[in-house]
This record gives sequence, structure tokens and C-alpha cells, in this order.
Amino acid sequence: MALIRLDGISFAYPGRATVLERADLTLREGERIGLMGPNGAGKTTLFHLIMGLLKPDSGRIEIFGREVREEKDFESVRRQIGFLFQDADDQLFHPTVLEDVAFGPLNLGKSREEAQSIALKTLEKLGLEHFEERITHRLSGGEKRLVALATVLAMEPKVLLLDEPTAGLDERTKERLTQLLKGLDLTYIIISHELDFLMETTTAVYAMADGRIQWDEEVKLHRHIHGHRHGAYPHAHE
Amino acid sequence: MIQEPFAIGGSPLHQTDPRLKIILATAYSFLVAVLQGFPALLTALVLSIALVAIARLDSRALFRRLGLANGLILFLWLLLPFTFPGKPLASIGPFALSLEGVRFCAQITLKSNAIILALIALVATSPIATLGYALHRLHVPAKMVLLLLLTYRYLFVLEQEYERLARAMRMRGFRPQTSLHTYRTYAYLVGMLFVRASARAERVHQAMLCRGFTGRFRTLKTFTLARRDWIWPFAAGCAMSGLIMLEWTTGWH
Amino acid sequence: MHISEGVLSAPVLISGMVLAAVGTGIGFKKMDFNRIPQTGMLAAAFFVGSLIHVPIGPSSVHLVLNGIVGLLLGWAAFPAILVALVLQALFFQYGGITTLGVNTVIMAAPAVVCYLLFARLIHGRQTVSLTASFACGFLAVFLSAILVGLALISTEENFFKVSSLIVAANLPVMIIEGILTLFCVSFLKKVQPHMLPGNQPLEAAAFTNSPAGPPQQ
Repeated sequence: MALIRLDGISFAYPGRATVLERADLTLREGERIGLMGPNGAGKTTLFHLIMGLLKPDSGRIEIFGREVREEKDFESVRRQIGFLFQDADDQLFHPTVLEDVAFGPLNLGKSREEAQSIALKTLEKLGLEHFEERITHRLSGGEKRLVALATVLAMEPKVLLLDEPTAGLDERTKERLTQLLKGLDLTYIIISHELDFLMETTTAVYAMADGRIQWDEEVKLHRHIHGHRHGAYPHAHE
Repeated sequence: MIQEPFAIGGSPLHQTDPRLKIILATAYSFLVAVLQGFPALLTALVLSIALVAIARLDSRALFRRLGLANGLILFLWLLLPFTFPGKPLASIGPFALSLEGVRFCAQITLKSNAIILALIALVATSPIATLGYALHRLHVPAKMVLLLLLTYRYLFVLEQEYERLARAMRMRGFRPQTSLHTYRTYAYLVGMLFVRASARAERVHQAMLCRGFTGRFRTLKTFTLARRDWIWPFAAGCAMSGLIMLEWTTGWH
Repeated sequence: MHISEGVLSAPVLISGMVLAAVGTGIGFKKMDFNRIPQTGMLAAAFFVGSLIHVPIGPSSVHLVLNGIVGLLLGWAAFPAILVALVLQALFFQYGGITTLGVNTVIMAAPAVVCYLLFARLIHGRQTVSLTASFACGFLAVFLSAILVGLALISTEENFFKVSSLIVAANLPVMIIEGILTLFCVSFLKKVQPHMLPGNQPLEAAAFTNSPAGPPQQ
């Protein structure tokens, strides 16, 4: 069953050149897709359109089998699709971690007790026990990214959209994130520049260029483990 | 740069229900603000010092805070005694100090310091985040609480953005002087700060929408009064009635 | 431009609270929940901005910035400034609980007045716009100083000489703020004109086709 279907979506920011030109995308349940492309290709814009933060100039968006057009339609979309932002600071807007993670469940209508227990369980699942009372602005970059993921997962979404989740992370946190994602039972799309990461976490990689999304029939992945002294597989080239 | 030096600690005041502390601080501040008589004012100052002692605060940070507030009071001491009409007390050259002026300044000094010390002991001994949630439990409207929490949350982010911008300017040889070029540079710095703030606000708003926000703001944290917390309203009640009694009987001399 | 605790009389403190409550109430009514992030972030920027000091002769003065904040937020400047003052009191014990109302009115009322006077003129011809921007910055600080004086004199008549001194001493600050606002507004016109009034209504719909442009990728 197609969870997300975009048909002929076109979009341009007011006063700027077209970003998406009759783009199509289908995401089926269980799929784990990577999305690559140069800066400005429209990858984040695509996510914004799916979440209803932007309205397409033309085309049709169908999510969970229903066409979505108005703000009202997207309210239900946002309860079921989780979006991990590029900048974790934008997503952590409560001063404390527990309140931030509980924000989503509270908005879903859960009671305070339920929201608290969901938040604590989510933090535990991500290996973030004892983070509840931490102050968000004092977390390290990697910690912020993981807590931001917790805030999104606490809503128990059916689909995840991750925007450059490994940007700025050290090797250890990247590995932790990779393992976490592999262990989740979720459908997701990941925007990333890091091929190695996408190799571990996705089964197909699409490319965005000229305002459209190109299927992996045209993009062949070559397995290449490249290491430096500090990488997971240190080696030297002759 | 911006810090909360008194928020963490093990004293009894640090552990008291913050809702109680907010209410007490407000009541006490307003009471002391309207006192006039010196016996009452001196007693209030002593009470405030006692509170600070109970809170076991770091003295260096404390004096720095007091210094800031007393700066303005010092300014008043330099001017008011000379501009107040009244019985001349002494003279420095052609300027005469009046008794009323000195008395008024003394009142202000006692009041100000009594209130500020009490505020530090009561309110600064809880983290600001906690105070925000306490205000929500005290039925402050949700819009106000959300605004306060958001502003607080992003202060440090914006402070860092500003530091980055200022550093970049300095790398380009900018040195502040009394010149139009300097003021224009600062204007652009401030402008850029506002632009970045606005752009981030847009993203934060989107993040809130994506987590299901439709206008209803709820918070998790609840507070429960411990049994030993009850000593504070009791002590405060006695102290404040005592002050009122003092004021009533000794009056304004 | 703050009056510290313990200086003002009860009637002045209470009037301050009432006026601040009215202004904040109006500000909140014109600000639906979707505008809170903008208001909060600009309040935070205002707070950080007020920590900046610029040189003037042998010493330096802190920026006030209530003119610009008025232009950017309109009536929402009241709650924004209130929150910034609460945080200043909590962090630095600069101001306190009893003077919160009065200090808010001192900063925010001039901000709103300057918004009402100058918002429309910002987008006029070059000379009109520049003069309006300068006047906005200058007048905001001037009115604040006047309000400080008024609060003091209402407490005690004999504050008159001190009040006049405060207004006079702030004249260089007024000029600097005027200059700063002038350059800041012209900067914003070039870089992010929709932040300035007259280009976008204060109450924006939740469904934003963000004119802020594409996200940084």
C-alpha cells in the first residue's frame, strides 16, 4: 500500500526559480529510501510539502490513501509522519528534555501520566535514560540530535522523514544512530550526503536533479568502504 | 555569559516548592515597597539577609548582583540630597544637603536591598525553566508561559549567534570607536541578529506544527507541596504581620 | 532605563501594573498562537541586543532598541518586552517584581507609539523613510526617559531636578539609537523586508508559504 504518493508536484518559492517540476514519488510500507542531490535541489522542500508546511503550486499529494490539500488535512498527517529537522535546535523548544519529548504525545491528546510514561520509554529506547531533567541548551550536538529523534519517535509515527540526520555528528554517535534506525520497525526517507550511512540504513537511493526525483534504476550504487586513520576501517592506498 | 549562579544548591530554600516561593517573593516585595518607617525597614533588611543566609549563596556572585542594583542608588545619593528642599544638614561647598533628601535616600537604600536580597534568595534559587512551569501551575495564561519558555530557551542560541557575528566583524579588522562607521556596523549586527532570529522562529514554528501543535499548550511538570514546605507560609505570615505591626506603631518619623 | 525596586510609591507601582496588563492584553489578543515563536525569538534578540554596548566618547552606553522592536512587533512589543524584563530580573536582578509593570510601560509604550506613528512611513521615499527611522529610534528613547521622569515625579515631587537630569543625560543615547535605527531599517529593507511593517500583516495565517525563502540546505 502506498503510504505517500506525490503526483506531478511543482513548486517554486515566491519570486524564485522553480524548485520542483512535476516531481513524482511513491513510498510504500516498509521501504527505506535515501535521497541525495546537490544543495538547492529541493530535498528539504519535498519534505516540507509532504508535511504541509508548504503548498504545492500544482500536482496532487496523497497520504495514507487520502488526498491532502487543506491545513485541516495535514493536521492528521503530522500526527502520523515524523520529521527530523536538519538543525536539532529548531526542534528542541522546551527548556527541559522531558517536556520536549512529551510535547508530541500531549498534543496527540494523551493524559499527562501517559505522555510522561511514553516520553520516558522513548528516551530509554534511545539509550537516553537519565536525560529527563537535562537542560536542552546545554546538550552536546550529538545529544541534541538524539533527543530531537526522541521527540519525534514519542509520537509513534508510521513514517519518518529525516533531513541530514548525521550532519555534524562524530563517528560514535553516527554509528549509534545507524544502529537505532536499523532497529526501528518503520518506513522512512533519509536525506543525506553520506553514502556510507545510506548504505547501512536504506535499501534504495533516489537522486534529485532538475526538479525531479530519479529512481534507482538510473543510479547504481557502488559499494566502497573508504577509511582514514580515524575511520572504522583504517587502511592506506598504494 | 548569561548564567544562573544561584539556581543549583542544597539549601532548604532550593528544595522548597517554587510556586510557594514565587507567591512569597511577590507578597514580600510589595509589602516592603510600601513601608516607610525605619524600624520596619531595618527589620525587613535583616529578614532578607536571614533568607540569603539560609539559601547559602555564593557571596562573590551575590555582591556582583548587589553592585549592579546599588549603582543606580548611588547615583540617587549623589543627587537627591542636594535637590530635595528641606532642613539643611551639612554643606559641601555651595551645595547644601537636606535632611529630607538624606532620609529619602536612606529609605530607598534599605527598601531596595531588602527586596533584591529576598528576590535572589527566593526566586533565583530555582532554575528559570522550573519557574516557568511553576507559573503555568499558578494559572498564568498558557500564551504567556509559552512565550516565556521559548524566549528563555533561545536566549543562549541567539547569544552564540551574536558572538559569531561579532567575532567575524573583529576578524575583518573592526574596532569599535565613536564614529558613524561603528554605529552603522552595530546596526547591521543587530539587524542580522533579528533576521537570524526571525528565520529560526519560522523553523521552530514549523517544528511545533509537525509535532501536532494546534494552539493548545500543555506542560507536564506538576508540583506537590511537601509537608515541610508549610513552614514557609507560616514563617512569612508571622514576619509580614510583624512588619505591618511595626510600621503601624512606630510610623513615619 | 529601568527603575529599581524600592524607589517608587504604591500608586505609581499599581498604575504601572494596570497599564502594563492592558498593553500586554492587547498585544496577546493581536497575537495568535502561531505568532508566539516569532514574538519569543525577537524578544530573545531584544534581550541579547540590550547587552551590546557601543562606545561614545570615553565611555560606552548599552543599546535600548525599543524603537526597532516596536516597528517589528507592533502591539506584540508589550508582551515581548515584558518577558524580556522578567528574564532580566531573573538573571541579573535588574528590576524586580513590583516594578515589572512600570518598567514594561516605560519600554513598551514608546515602542508601540513609534510603531503607530512611523510604521507606514518606513516604505515611503528615501528621505521620508530615513527620517522616519531616525525619528522612531530617537523618539522611543525620548519617551522612555520622559516616562521614567514621570514615574519618579509622581512618587515624589522633589524628583523633578533628578528627572530632568535623566532626560538630558539620555540625549546622546537618543541620537545614537536614532542613527542605529536608521541603518538597521535600511538593512532590513534590503535583506528581509517582510519583517518590517506594511509588508506583511501582524496576524499571519498558520499555513505559511514562507516568504522567508528556502531552508538552508
